[in-house]
Amino acid sequence: MLARAHAFTIDGLHTRHVSVEVDVRPGLPGFTIVGLADAAVREARERITAAILNSGYEFPARRITANLAPGDVRKAGSGLDLALACAVLAAAGQLPAAELERIALFGELALDGTVRAPRGALAVAHAAQRAGMHALALAPTCAHEARLIDGLQVSPVTSLKSAVRVLSGGAGDEPTATGARARSRTVHESAGAAAAAGDLSEVRGQHHAVKAIVIAAAGAHNALLSGPPGTGKTMLAQRVASILPPLSSAEAVEVTRIHSLIGERVDALARARPFRAPHHSITAAGLVGGASQGSVGEVVLAHNGVLFLDELSEFSRATLEALRQPLEDGRVAIVRARHSAVYPTRFMMLAATNPCPCGFAGDGDHCRCSGADMTRHRRRLSGPLLDRIDLLATLERDTNGDLRTPALMSSAQAGEQVRSARERQAARLAGEGVTLNAHMDVRMLQRHVRLDERSQEMLRAASRRGLLSARGEHRVLRVARTIADLDDSARVRQCDLGAALALRPEPSLAGNRVA
Amino acid sequence: MSAGDESKQERGACGVCLRRSWLLSALGGPLDYCARDRSRLLELLALSDEQLLAAVAGRRKAELEAAYARFDAAELEREAREQTICRHRRGYPHALHGRSSPHMLTVRGGAGRLAKLTAAPAVAILGSAVPSDYGRETARSLARGLAASGVTVVTALSDGIAAAAQAGALEAGAGSIAVLSGGLDVSCPPRRRPLYERIGRDGCLVSELPLDCAGRRWGQRASERIIVELAPVSVIVEAEQTPRGMAAASTARELGRPVAAIPGRVTSALSRGTNALLMDGASLVRGPRDVLELLFELSGARPKAGPTEAVAAGAVRPTRLRPTLERVLERVSAGYDTPDKLTRAGVDVRQVLPALTELELAGLLSRGDGGRYLPREPLD
Repeated sequence: MLARAHAFTIDGLHTRHVSVEVDVRPGLPGFTIVGLADAAVREARERITAAILNSGYEFPARRITANLAPGDVRKAGSGLDLALACAVLAAAGQLPAAELERIALFGELALDGTVRAPRGALAVAHAAQRAGMHALALAPTCAHEARLIDGLQVSPVTSLKSAVRVLSGGAGDEPTATGARARSRTVHESAGAAAAAGDLSEVRGQHHAVKAIVIAAAGAHNALLSGPPGTGKTMLAQRVASILPPLSSAEAVEVTRIHSLIGERVDALARARPFRAPHHSITAAGLVGGASQGSVGEVVLAHNGVLFLDELSEFSRATLEALRQPLEDGRVAIVRARHSAVYPTRFMMLAATNPCPCGFAGDGDHCRCSGADMTRHRRRLSGPLLDRIDLLATLERDTNGDLRTPALMSSAQAGEQVRSARERQAARLAGEGVTLNAHMDVRMLQRHVRLDERSQEMLRAASRRGLLSARGEHRVLRVARTIADLDDSARVRQCDLGAALALRPEPSLAGNRVA
Repeated sequence: MSAGDESKQERGACGVCLRRSWLLSALGGPLDYCARDRSRLLELLALSDEQLLAAVAGRRKAELEAAYARFDAAELEREAREQTICRHRRGYPHALHGRSSPHMLTVRGGAGRLAKLTAAPAVAILGSAVPSDYGRETARSLARGLAASGVTVVTALSDGIAAAAQAGALEAGAGSIAVLSGGLDVSCPPRRRPLYERIGRDGCLVSELPLDCAGRRWGQRASERIIVELAPVSVIVEAEQTPRGMAAASTARELGRPVAAIPGRVTSALSRGTNALLMDGASLVRGPRDVLELLFELSGARPKAGPTEAVAAGAVRPTRLRPTLERVLERVSAGYDTPDKLTRAGVDVRQVLPALTELELAGLLSRGDGGRYLPREPLD
């Protein structure tokens, strides 16, 4: 007898449809699984045998062959258990095979037949819906995750017995809201943590830096915060999350899918933008992913959100180099011997650093760093990364009792400014394939940033004085466009360009100052 | 340049002087030891070769004397790019005929150009290797203004004030002289390479040591004496009141060269040395104009351009600034030097950043450390 069930396997951020074919025929009793299965799938044999017997069914004492098609896709994880068990039962005639064609199965089996939830329920539900499945049966603990996807019936099943009942046309069990799953990566700040990060009104003084950060948030520009220790670089950066607009529904599915796939608990579609702040000891693999099969890096987890690199000069050179492609292309391609994958990485980068190794450059004559120290510091920062930084916000040590000066604005006010500036950008860039100024390419810049005669002269003067490279010019134009958007100006005026030029990263940071 | 001059310079330094240079590099270790006492070093450098060997060679005396006797100038490979010139040749700087002056110089950039640069009035600009951004910018604008009016800027190639002064002279499009503390081939740190190459193109790099002699502490002090000797006036831009910080000024005094200094804040340790020099009678310098007047007083030499034109040549100040810009520039000069401080000082928030950019593009402000802006020219 032959039976076929539908299941899904997870490969990085992608879910692949797997059809599970089971053939039961007379011969020496045995159970073989073919079709590029990894260790977790091959171990399924023992789990399935025990689960079937402990659920009160009969395990066919015949020759059983299970094929996982397509044969050239590597199958990983324990999510195929349920589909295999049901297909075995159907092939042995203990279960009507008709419903197996319409209901996808996803779950790991315990030896007593209980169904457990592997990671990635949301992504599997998404894939099942797109594959045209009628329903998805999975563990009740992750049913709410799958229900976030419209147009798919979700049937929670607590055990193999319930699955058999569902496949025979019965109803599913009640989903459970609790049942926390132990996962290695649940320690991450969940997307909702951003809201708890604090309000911009807690930042006293530093009006210049706050304004620069609002500009960066409005256009999704990469920004560098520089200032002596204790001036509030980190504090300011953490509050960026509170002024970014919530995710759009399409972005929310993308972000939630990613978080579901790494095994974070997902209760609802993410609304707040991700804010990732890895420690500076992170490795290149940790940052971009690819440490083990399917592991994703911080740049992917920051997709549609913010990646904050505190103490930028402490990150290892190799790690920062690895950021090149994700920043440039908005995606990262991880290629390893056995798998390759492309992940989306469109994030806004924020970095914070001290102006010199001791941190006090420009602060009276506290700084005792030698020229060689400064050169070393700049060299660590220079290169690929500084090339991608659009604006520099300098924080100064408060000498005038800044802590008593009022805050520039609250998160609500700044958020409103950012939201309306982003709406203007989206309206202007409609049909270009991007929605934010930071993502405009050179052609779009020519179309959407038209300068008057005086502004052009200003830009030429800046290039002549060696303050701007060609690439720097594009960066300045993007920032100028955002400043004009914040001011609700249809044109980029000279004062917008002037402000953008004042905010450009210092060439000295890139190490080309002679003296 | 006539053909006769050319052939003369082709000959380079004489064998005696080349041997002197070799001897100094061979005695690097003992000299380094003696260099802890600066006036002793000047005394030692005034000795003849034999006396020098007797004074510092110690246990290696016999060995070095033998090598000294065997020395053959012809064995030295002569690089095409670097010329040598010694006190026995025409074109050797007149200023270097003192007791403790170097006997010869290795020159990158051509002996002819060195002769031309030293024939013009010269000013040495010296100071801390770890200056504040105020010191750096002042040295830079001072050198720029002086170079623009035809004065040769002489300084080292070290970090801080020296490098800033070199950059300033280059900005004015003039050649400057950099005195290195070791051999020309080996004593330029990689981060100074671009500057080294540019000075080699427009100005001169000189050293009294052979090409491959590593720079040592004594070499640094010895090079200071060459810098000071080459110029009739030495300007100290920023210096701490420590023996190291004051070394250049005391060398100048010992060699009988007048010292001038730029005043600084009384609260800054980096200005303590220069302020003390001013108390002791050094001439006070506020900008290129003061230095030019000082040069004129000292030698009667008239620089190529008058002081006023010189300052004008250094900065391309637009005829008239808009009142807003004028106000911002005034506030920055008064110490409201960051966007936040300017806002607090009453400048309209929306005008601060554009105004700062315009002033920067006009060459009147430059960026200092920590997001501060610095005026590039002293007040008239």
